[in-house]
Amino acid sequence: MNHEVKEQGGAVIVALEGDVDLQSSPDARKVLLECVGKRMPVLVDLSKVGYIDSSGVASLVESLQSARKSGSTLILVLVSEGARRVLELARLDKVFTICDTIEDGLAEVQ
Amino acid sequence: MGRDFASTLDIEASLSRAIEHITDYVDAEGGALFMLDDAGETLRCHASVGATEITGMTLNSGQGIVGRCVQSNASEIIRDVTKDPDFHGGVDEKTGYTTRSILCAPMSVKDECLGAIELINKRGGDGLFEDSDLHLLQAMSASAGMAILNARMAEALVEQERLARELELAAEIQRSLLPDQSDKDFPIVGINHPARTVSGDFYDFFPLDDGRICFNLGDVSGKGMNAALLMAKTASLYRCLGKTIRKPGRLMARVNAEICETATRGMFVTLAGGIYDPATGVVRLSNAGHEPPLFHQPDGQFKAFPAEAPPVGITPILADGDEFPESEVQLDGGTLYIFTDGVTEGYLEDGRELEVEGFKASIRDNASLDARGRLEVVIDLIKRGDTALRDDLTLLAIDDAAGLAMRQSDRGMAAVSSEADGGDDDEDLLLTLNVPSRADRLKLIRNAVSETALFCGCQKDMARDIVIAVDEACQNIIRHAYGGSPNGEIELKICRGDGELIILLRDFAETIDISKVKPRDLDDIKPGGLGTHFIREVMDDVEFLTPPLDGGNLLRMMKRL
Repeated sequence: MNHEVKEQGGAVIVALEGDVDLQSSPDARKVLLECVGKRMPVLVDLSKVGYIDSSGVASLVESLQSARKSGSTLILVLVSEGARRVLELARLDKVFTICDTIEDGLAEVQ
Repeated sequence: MGRDFASTLDIEASLSRAIEHITDYVDAEGGALFMLDDAGETLRCHASVGATEITGMTLNSGQGIVGRCVQSNASEIIRDVTKDPDFHGGVDEKTGYTTRSILCAPMSVKDECLGAIELINKRGGDGLFEDSDLHLLQAMSASAGMAILNARMAEALVEQERLARELELAAEIQRSLLPDQSDKDFPIVGINHPARTVSGDFYDFFPLDDGRICFNLGDVSGKGMNAALLMAKTASLYRCLGKTIRKPGRLMARVNAEICETATRGMFVTLAGGIYDPATGVVRLSNAGHEPPLFHQPDGQFKAFPAEAPPVGITPILADGDEFPESEVQLDGGTLYIFTDGVTEGYLEDGRELEVEGFKASIRDNASLDARGRLEVVIDLIKRGDTALRDDLTLLAIDDAAGLAMRQSDRGMAAVSSEADGGDDDEDLLLTLNVPSRADRLKLIRNAVSETALFCGCQKDMARDIVIAVDEACQNIIRHAYGGSPNGEIELKICRGDGELIILLRDFAETIDISKVKPRDLDDIKPGGLGTHFIREVMDDVEFLTPPLDGGNLLRMMKRL
């Protein structure tokens, strides 16, 4: 799994790429929590995530909780089909704010 | 009159008839029969006839002529009442009747006076009684007293009989709580021999759906009906909860919590219970304050398992948190014995107690008998010396001899047939894959499963779902079965059955407790349980098959195509 972090419009955009599974989810968790630690709204771009498993989903949930605790927010953007299916199975598609474009996402967190 | 009392158990009706006969026979105008109450303080008129109706009237036991007669236990004739200071004129005032003459005789048996019969006014003539009338009444009073006493004793006997019958019914219900032992080849046998009709001891065993056997043996403090009732409650709780709670220590804690919530103060149950797995020979045991179970090892030595927790019903707060401690023992062909202290404290023919050493000696000396035979010898030893048993005798034996033989022969069979075993006959094997238990190999498994599903004509969405389920199941194996160790092995087998895809996942780790594997409540999202939830969501059927004979776990998942 690879990742790319950039700051744009007062938010952190973190793009995960590849499979977020048992092997890589500890890395994903670390990256996500670091982004949340910047005390800016976080957009997680899942467009290039082919597969995400329960441990990856758990990292997302933990990051969302951490963001909320510090008064910030974390949303998902450009969620790939595979990732969306797993979020549905976990019934988390209604827990996360999901936006279809980066622009919508930035508008959402303003 | 005696016959009347004997033929009917309704004493009051017989008293009425008796006073009628006597009044008639002595030719008196009226008669009344008084009886002393149990405390001997009050005289009550139970029956009256003729001149005045005074049934139900009560007097102090020393009051009036009747009272004097009862106190002195001697009969009296008062030819003319106007000359007697003890005459209670109140009755005449109320009834308007004129009493002229009284006969009174006690109804007594030996020195015990039950009451008295009083007759009033001779019919005809001057209305006064003669001495001959008194003699007649004396004779009849005495026999009435005897008849009443007999009737009372008969009544007490009937009541005793009724209680005995009820106890016998209770004992029958108790016996029905004990397990069915018609299967002579069952590896667990038990004997319960109550000292009285009902017992405060119990034992039970029942097979679980995974082939293991849940068992217990308990001893309720005290004897008699209250112990029997608590026994019934504890045994029922254990059996009911034991079908779903597969950990003896946790089960014991649940039973304890229930008993503590509702048990009568001061009553408790010493209880040993566990689970025996004939496929492995392993017993997991939890002992709540019970006499230490004895393991007769295959090498002939005995090992005791003393209690590490208080009896059930003493305290809801446990030292180790939520569970009672457990111990594990590999029977390896040996036998585990659980028994109550009625056995070790039972008297032998020479007056000594059997004690644990005597028990061990008897088991050792009778090794050639089957488990039931060995228990029966112990019971006989005590019944011979202790004819009126001091305490209930209850024993349970878990004999692993047959289990060991089966395991040994199965191991041979498994070696022969494992090559030929490619799933069910009507299933078409698509893929087998052996992968090390490493997280970085999961991608290989996902790709193989995805391609296999697409090969079977699955739509993309369904193939993706199947991949999720298999990936999560493999993760569970890596994380839970192998505890993260990369040195394990995962065997994946995919078959196509009749309109369904069957996925078998096998590992070689320690067999896990299936009851713990359950989808977590989605409100409490943590990794771990979520994966199991995914598997259940995606697959049409998920089950752990009976663990393979050489250990490990076998998960079968089915998806309808």
